[in-house]
Amino acid sequence: MVLALLQSPPGFSPIDRTNEAASNQAANLAPHATPPTVTPLERLPLDKIKLPAGFKAEVYSFGHPGGRTMAIGSNGTIFMGTRQLGRVYAITNRDGKREVKVLLQGLTQPNGIVVKDGALYVLAINRVFRYDDIENKLDNPGPGVELTDKFNLPTEIHHNWKYVDFGPDGKLYVQIGSNCNICEVNPGIHGQIRRYNLDGTGMEIVARGVRNTVGFDWHPVTKELWFTDNGRDWAGNAGPEDELNRVATGQEGAFYGFPYCHAQGIPDPDIRKPNACAGVTLPAALTGPHSAGLGIKFYTGNMFPQSYRNVAFIARHGSWNREQEFGFDVVVARINGGRARIEPFMTGLLDEKTNMFYGRPSYVLQLADGSLLVSDETNGAIYRITYQAR
Amino acid sequence: MTFLFALFLAQASCASCHGEDGNSKIANIPSLAGQPEFFILNQLFLMREGVRPIESMKPLVKDLKDSDIDALAKHFAGLEPRPSGESIDPALVKRGSELAVTLRCASCHLPNFAGRQQMPRLATQRVDYLVHSMKEFRDNKRSGADTLMSNAVAGLSDADLTALAHYAASLGK
Ligand code: HEC
Ligand code: HEC
Repeated sequence: MVLALLQSPPGFSPIDRTNEAASNQAANLAPHATPPTVTPLERLPLDKIKLPAGFKAEVYSFGHPGGRTMAIGSNGTIFMGTRQLGRVYAITNRDGKREVKVLLQGLTQPNGIVVKDGALYVLAINRVFRYDDIENKLDNPGPGVELTDKFNLPTEIHHNWKYVDFGPDGKLYVQIGSNCNICEVNPGIHGQIRRYNLDGTGMEIVARGVRNTVGFDWHPVTKELWFTDNGRDWAGNAGPEDELNRVATGQEGAFYGFPYCHAQGIPDPDIRKPNACAGVTLPAALTGPHSAGLGIKFYTGNMFPQSYRNVAFIARHGSWNREQEFGFDVVVARINGGRARIEPFMTGLLDEKTNMFYGRPSYVLQLADGSLLVSDETNGAIYRITYQAR
Repeated sequence: MTFLFALFLAQASCASCHGEDGNSKIANIPSLAGQPEFFILNQLFLMREGVRPIESMKPLVKDLKDSDIDALAKHFAGLEPRPSGESIDPALVKRGSELAVTLRCASCHLPNFAGRQQMPRLATQRVDYLVHSMKEFRDNKRSGADTLMSNAVAGLSDADLTALAHYAASLGK
């Protein structure tokens, strides 16, 4: 009977094929819950946050439970996507204070949000909506224009909460995750980054063999695409580590290894094939075991010291499939050609002694003044990081 | 105050379906007694906001305040879970227990299937509801939820799900 499961056709990508004995991990590891309730200001873990000298964190906004992805409109409205709670928030400024409103609700995992030419695009698994002139319609966004049929995205939900952004080429880049922990996927459908014209035409596959990226950005100088990718679970506490990858110019469509080859060339213990890593584009950097690197943004502002110019900030959501928790921070990736070096930046939300975490950094966003916003999904808050030379 | 309100609300508007003591006597309606508090809270949020739409509950949940939800969750979490009285087939229990190991159900729902946090209690739950809910996950119909659950039952046959349900329901508290 179990055998029959394992022989299901590729493309349907049915189940996890992990070998539980081999992972040698505690049997009771489980994903962390995200509270749907408001964390009040006085309970936010601001005092836990540690930053390099001269940097300071403050609370930018709170009261948006489950808020993850951030996109900013030209009038300064911050839009936030969520996963389970199904809401999209709009955060506006009034008299130096933030006002939070629930803009949309009842969507299925609306993690994919982006603003272009005054329109908010919302991607919820396979559904695609555009809300034109959104910053003038925050009180009544209406039903929007539904583009779902035009994009024709897969409907499987697992690992398919979207990340989307517009590239330097003006195209919409869209995540299509692998809908399992580890399995053969249909490489024509899952485990990709694609790009589309705004109306859903002209689909091209930009990266293949990607387990689940939920964050990407373009290098400000080279204009190359860099993306985070979350490694598989149940193959041990040590990883395989998550990845920071680059799509080099001219290498669009390259294969990044899933499900056969992970990290810097580790063949998968469950899905085996000869020369598992042949032809695989290996990562620019490893970003830690089960660390769950989500949002990534290159820094182009003037507020932070010169040494932060063009570095990438990566929010690491933090592990669940690991006995000793790992991540729950923001790191810096310093890029050198096709390689990157990872350094700590915002720490303190993980207490290694008690194995407890106080918040989960999810996405980063640079404001016009060069300060950096970091969203904390667990606490439904955004922190703003500023710098002042001493 | 909130406690009394929750008790009143539970008796007035939930008991007819979910049972006087939180243990359902009606096919395909889940028992709520002994569910983890966070699970009930989370589900009521998802229902209120239309992420998990349940037609028959819509009028009841649409105006609930966060604090009402909190009180209802505490109320049902504190009740004693009891078996539904449906017949349990030992052969299916055995098969279900084997499947549960392969599919690692206990990593989330705990070895005694008592659930924790966002992960529901399965032990002593109604067999028919367990089958129904797993089909919904498998068939992409309860999609707002944590997608790891859809992943856990992806590709399973109805017979597999029935075996898992008998196993889960057979577990005591
Ligand atoms: C008319 C019948 C009815 C009434 C009244 C009702 N429910 Fe339900 N409830 C259901 C059904 C049916 C389901 C399962 C739906 C499904 O998943 O298909 C359900 C599911 C639930 C669940 C999810 C449980 C789980 O294990 O997934 C919770 C929590 C819940 N109800 C709470 C309540 C509360 C609290 C009230 C009172 C305010 C209430 N219900 C009143 C019919 C009802
Ligand atoms: C990775 C964690 C995880 C694993 C593994 C897992 N579950 Fe779940 N399960 C959940 C979560 C989370 C929910 C609640 C989803 C939601 O938010 O509605 C759930 C819900 C359920 C429900 C619905 C019950 C109800 O009251 O509504 C059933 C039945 C269930 N799981 C059975 C199983 C079985 C059987 C297995 C093994 C085949 C399994 N689960 C494996 C996390 C998991």
